[in-house]
Amino acid sequence: MNKQPWRPIDMTLAAMFAALMAIGANVSAYLTIGGVPITFQLLFAILAGVLLGSRLGAASMTLYMLIGLVGMPVFAQFKGGIGHVISPTFGFVVSFIAVAYAVGKVVERKSDPTIRTYLFAGACGLFLNYLIGAHYMYAAYTLWFEAPGGFNYLLTWSWMAAYLPIDTGVVVAAALIAPKVKKVVLEARPAV
Amino acid sequence: MNKLILGRYFPGDSWLHRLDPRSKLIAGVAFIFIIFLADSLQAFALLWVFTLFVMRLSGVGFRTYVRGVRPLIWLILFATLMQMLFRTGGATFVDWGPITISEYGIINGFYVFCRFVLIIFFSTVVTLTTKPIDLTDGIGSLLRPLRKLKVPVDELALMLSISLRFIPNLMDETQRIMDAQRARGTQFGEGSLIQQMKTLVPIFLPLFASSLNRAEDMANAMEVRGYQSGTKRSTFRQLSWKRIDTASLFIMVVLAGVLLVVRTI
Repeated sequence: MNKQPWRPIDMTLAAMFAALMAIGANVSAYLTIGGVPITFQLLFAILAGVLLGSRLGAASMTLYMLIGLVGMPVFAQFKGGIGHVISPTFGFVVSFIAVAYAVGKVVERKSDPTIRTYLFAGACGLFLNYLIGAHYMYAAYTLWFEAPGGFNYLLTWSWMAAYLPIDTGVVVAAALIAPKVKKVVLEARPAV
Repeated sequence: MNKLILGRYFPGDSWLHRLDPRSKLIAGVAFIFIIFLADSLQAFALLWVFTLFVMRLSGVGFRTYVRGVRPLIWLILFATLMQMLFRTGGATFVDWGPITISEYGIINGFYVFCRFVLIIFFSTVVTLTTKPIDLTDGIGSLLRPLRKLKVPVDELALMLSISLRFIPNLMDETQRIMDAQRARGTQFGEGSLIQQMKTLVPIFLPLFASSLNRAEDMANAMEVRGYQSGTKRSTFRQLSWKRIDTASLFIMVVLAGVLLVVRTI
């Protein structure tokens, strides 16, 4: 992880993305969409991978997790605090580190990434997001909430499946928006 | 939205405010484990007394703590009800097919409820009595052993404080961009789902562009001042571990010890 030294620009970019993620998680404070408090964490995590690459992307998501654990209300619905680790949804926060890393890795392999690259990268990210998130949720319910027999592994996944259409939409949206964001960012700062 | 600006730090001069952030962080993490040692009504009674006492010490009103539980209340009630309705064992009071309200169910539901609420209360004490910047310093200091594993701990600690500093800026920025787009005739929160999603693009693009610009400005400022990672640094804010910190951790150990003893009986 520490092969290259950390340049100031690396550090400020990762820090900035962690702050962006805090906004993205709670955009619903500014506007609601379809009446549901919606969070753009997955979208921002994918974009972190696309724009910052694997190492910085993962670093920024780690920062986001730490800021939340320290007690800043940056998680979805303004949650935060050390106590949040027992929440069944904390696994998703952890998974964003893997999401940004995986997306970054996929995109870095291509010298000229296309929409298809971004779609594939986003799908990998979504897969990790669900894999880690669902297992954490399952562990939370079985280990520390001592869910009775009726709650099983299958139920966790059927729960997740309910969100799949929305999240697939997010991945597609991320793939469509990624080239635009990249262009805007490159125009704004030709140095990256 | 002001919630994000200040974090939830509650200025004060209590005994807890003066503790080193590191001891509070350790105690906060330890409490999560300690709570799982409790498996009897007496044990939970002790934990309630302890937690309420610590909350009292913080000098922050009980209401503030209850507000901390509110975002999670549905989850807590769900987990509690799951225990109450589906767990069997002991005397059974109601039996409707899969739904049974039993003695064990009620007791277990109560335990799950207490566990959740106590953990939130206790971790809220930590955040209410410690400035976010002190907490990030504390985390940086506690993670220092990870440097042996090549984790860039010092860099992470600095990045944490940079992020904290930028969150309020980005919020203002988001608000400004939204106002600017409204002035241009964008109507947020109207039309079909796809249309609503599309209105977000003119928010996100400028937000990304301007925040990455800020990042570059800051990086330049650091560069000009000769920042280099990987060198030995001194810190502006010094953490000092006092006797009272050792004492408070000792209290946590005693608490865990008592719970262990009660448990085996």
